[in-house]
Amino acid sequence: MTQAHARAGTTPVTPPFSPVLLLGMALKPFRPAALQPLFDAMLKVVRRRHPDILERMADYGDKAVCIDPVDLPFVILLEPNALDPRLTVRRAIEPGEVAATIHGPLEMLIALAEGKVDGDALFFSRRLVIEGDTEVVVALRNAIDGAGIDLIDDIAQELGPLARPFRGLAGAAIGLMSRMREDFETLRNAIIAPAVKDSANQGARIAQLEGELKQLRKAARRGGVA
Amino acid sequence: MASVASLVRPELVCPAGTPAALRSAVDAGADCVYVGFRDETNARNFPGLNFNRKELAEGIAYAHERGAKVLVAINTFPRAGNPGIWHQAVADAARLKADAAILADIGLIEHAHRAHPDLRLHLSVQAAASNPDAIRFYAERFGVKRVVLPRVLTVQEIAAVNARIAPVETEVFVFGGLCVMAEGRCALSSYATGQSPNMNGVCSPAGEVRYTETAQGITSELGGFTINKFAHDEPAGYPTLCKGRFIAKDKASYLFEEPTSLNTLSMLPDLIKAGVTAFKIEGRQRGRAYVAAVVQAFRAGVDAVMAGKPLPDIDLDRITEGGKQTTGAYEKAWR
Repeated sequence: MTQAHARAGTTPVTPPFSPVLLLGMALKPFRPAALQPLFDAMLKVVRRRHPDILERMADYGDKAVCIDPVDLPFVILLEPNALDPRLTVRRAIEPGEVAATIHGPLEMLIALAEGKVDGDALFFSRRLVIEGDTEVVVALRNAIDGAGIDLIDDIAQELGPLARPFRGLAGAAIGLMSRMREDFETLRNAIIAPAVKDSANQGARIAQLEGELKQLRKAARRGGVA
Repeated sequence: MASVASLVRPELVCPAGTPAALRSAVDAGADCVYVGFRDETNARNFPGLNFNRKELAEGIAYAHERGAKVLVAINTFPRAGNPGIWHQAVADAARLKADAAILADIGLIEHAHRAHPDLRLHLSVQAAASNPDAIRFYAERFGVKRVVLPRVLTVQEIAAVNARIAPVETEVFVFGGLCVMAEGRCALSSYATGQSPNMNGVCSPAGEVRYTETAQGITSELGGFTINKFAHDEPAGYPTLCKGRFIAKDKASYLFEEPTSLNTLSMLPDLIKAGVTAFKIEGRQRGRAYVAAVVQAFRAGVDAVMAGKPLPDIDLDRITEGGKQTTGAYEKAWR
């Protein structure tokens, strides 16, 4: 076990200003256990539809991984034991409790699970941070990416006659989320606009000063008066 | 200058580390997909990656139904006295009707040529055959049909090689990670971890890699050695020794190479005119989002060249290592 751990408010990734962040704030008063049935159901669906994930993780069944959606007030503990896998919602993970931790915004983690974004690229750009046992994280990433997960389709397939209304509902929710994201971006830009303007002015001033300093150094090297 | 009509359409050879990535590659327009078995017989022996026999059979069926080919990389070097799993891998590739096996070890190539005469053989980049004499030797002695050229030649040198080795085909890398060493000869990873891509199929094994977050940024370690530190806003790269940052003359810098990806999209017309048969995209260890994005970009690029149209302007920056791109040795701009 490593010292990888996660505790709300101590993550190495700054949460993006997004609807999920707002949702996270709204969820703060709830006990994580209240969300557990949702994760139990999700694990059941994924296990039934993508048994190959646990098969690819066979060598790492005893290595728990903490998934830390940095914009939510809880973390998810994944225990990939092939016979008894568990997905547990917790407020925090203690040091030494898991082999590795993956930190990232919720939407990005979902996109990663669905193979819509490349894990290496997210890591290169530092939007995804991993700590602890890299091997188990790489195995998990490859196992999930290779499964071809499509959360909406996977859930819909399990709902029988309710699949159609579920797809409609999910589509509407995604559309709403997308519009909210745009609104949040506008709001964010409006809030930070004065700071951005100040920063641009300061940048221009620093560039000007750097130019003057360069000229002075050049003059000093030529033996002139600096 | 060759007219469009006289140009031979190159095959797009795309990576797949998992069945889902194989389907993504085929759906995105790959002519061929290359894969490996889930063991040390291939140079991407990463945790959770690669194909078992059943998955390969299903993958071949999926590709063949859509007019695409599947190549199986068996491109590590068998251990002395224990070639069993390598021989089995070649036998299974032949049995499952793979379109070719990509091999590096001369002994394994001889075995495959003798035991499976109907299996098409490609020479892996790991064999480092970069001149007409070496290539002709493999073709004449073992019936090798295609050679994956090491990433050390200019476009002019590739054209010169092609002119002297017909009908042997050449395949060149067009996108992805780069190595600085003579391919198949790099032992850097062994010094830090005891394992190398040549013998174990893995460079800088993930089990030897540690990332630690600090107030200053992130520190990457390989085999207990600190090999790089990235500030919070600095793009990161793979934790390999060749891309480590070392202190020399009191200055920390990339002594071997910077984290950078090869991208030859702008050079496709030149590479096609140089007579290259196949364009290879590196990255079996990458996710299917990478595979889909790069394959689509190069599919559009090749199709544009063959139609006599301008190259599409496709930005692949977001999926490159270190956020940087190079045309590497193809131009040798440093000369």
